Amino acid sequence: MSRARRIAKELQAVQDDPQAGIDLEVINDADISHLKGYFDGPSGTPYEGGRYQVDIEIPQDYPFKPPKMKFDTKVYHPNISSQTGAICLDILKDKWSPVLTLKASLISLQSLLTTPEPTNPQDAEVAKHYLSDRKGFDNTAKYWAKVYAGADGGASGTAAASKPVDVFEQYGIDRESVKAIENMGFTQERIIEVMRRTGIKKIGPGAQEGAEDRLLEELLK
Amino acid sequence: MKVTIDKWIGVSTWHWNHAQDEVCGICRVAFDGTCPTCKYPGDDCPLIIGECKHAFHMHCLLKWLTTESSKGLCPMCRRRFKTATE
Repeated sequence: MSRARRIAKELQAVQDDPQAGIDLEVINDADISHLKGYFDGPSGTPYEGGRYQVDIEIPQDYPFKPPKMKFDTKVYHPNISSQTGAICLDILKDKWSPVLTLKASLISLQSLLTTPEPTNPQDAEVAKHYLSDRKGFDNTAKYWAKVYAGADGGASGTAAASKPVDVFEQYGIDRESVKAIENMGFTQERIIEVMRRTGIKKIGPGAQEGAEDRLLEELLK
Repeated sequence: MKVTIDKWIGVSTWHWNHAQDEVCGICRVAFDGTCPTCKYPGDDCPLIIGECKHAFHMHCLLKWLTTESSKGLCPMCRRRFKTATE
């Protein structure tokens, strides 16, 4: 079994290089095709300090086919689905090569966190946020890193956050804007749902022109 | 003292002489070993070297090149794989 032997070698190689900060573990010793990978959020990014868990499924014809990877830890990033953790990265799709390894793939994911590719997004809503309001995006990404990946003494990377999540921080939505609309008689839940769908983060001063009108129009539909 | 040699047996070792790498990048087994499907190293499971100078167990590379996703490219440098003639 070539595949099993190669995976065993890859696990060993990761163990032999603790400096890389990458971990790989088999979920169940009887099934070498399902692993979990871990790496640190790169420094100088909103993900710094977080620890990220990736679910790895190894296909039968590995290494001729790429491993299937998705984030278990929630990540706010244009190329990662904020809902499912699905990843848009060329080497995990059509640019895969059999000389790549699980370790190399995890390092590529780490560098994807450093250099998002918002023009080829996996999560359109997040990409829109990244392109229209970089500062707001960074804040939200940082907040997610803290709540889901354990950055800044937040929750541990793998466990679900124990304290309630602040929906405003979570989606980078301006609290005051939502309050202003709530006063018109809409529920907070509905306002946030529509703001997420339309990508509107705030209204009033400093917001995009016509954002309020567009939001109200959507709400009244 | 005088030594008379009655009989002698020659023993030799062999080694694939490829400077760039010691293991096949595809299966991660030493070049001097075999690809995962073979039993005997050497002539039964040879190396293949491309014009780009990248080497693999021939069987590993051929298996890669038969997959659609390879697009005929060298796994190392992604140039079109052509067997070196020299």
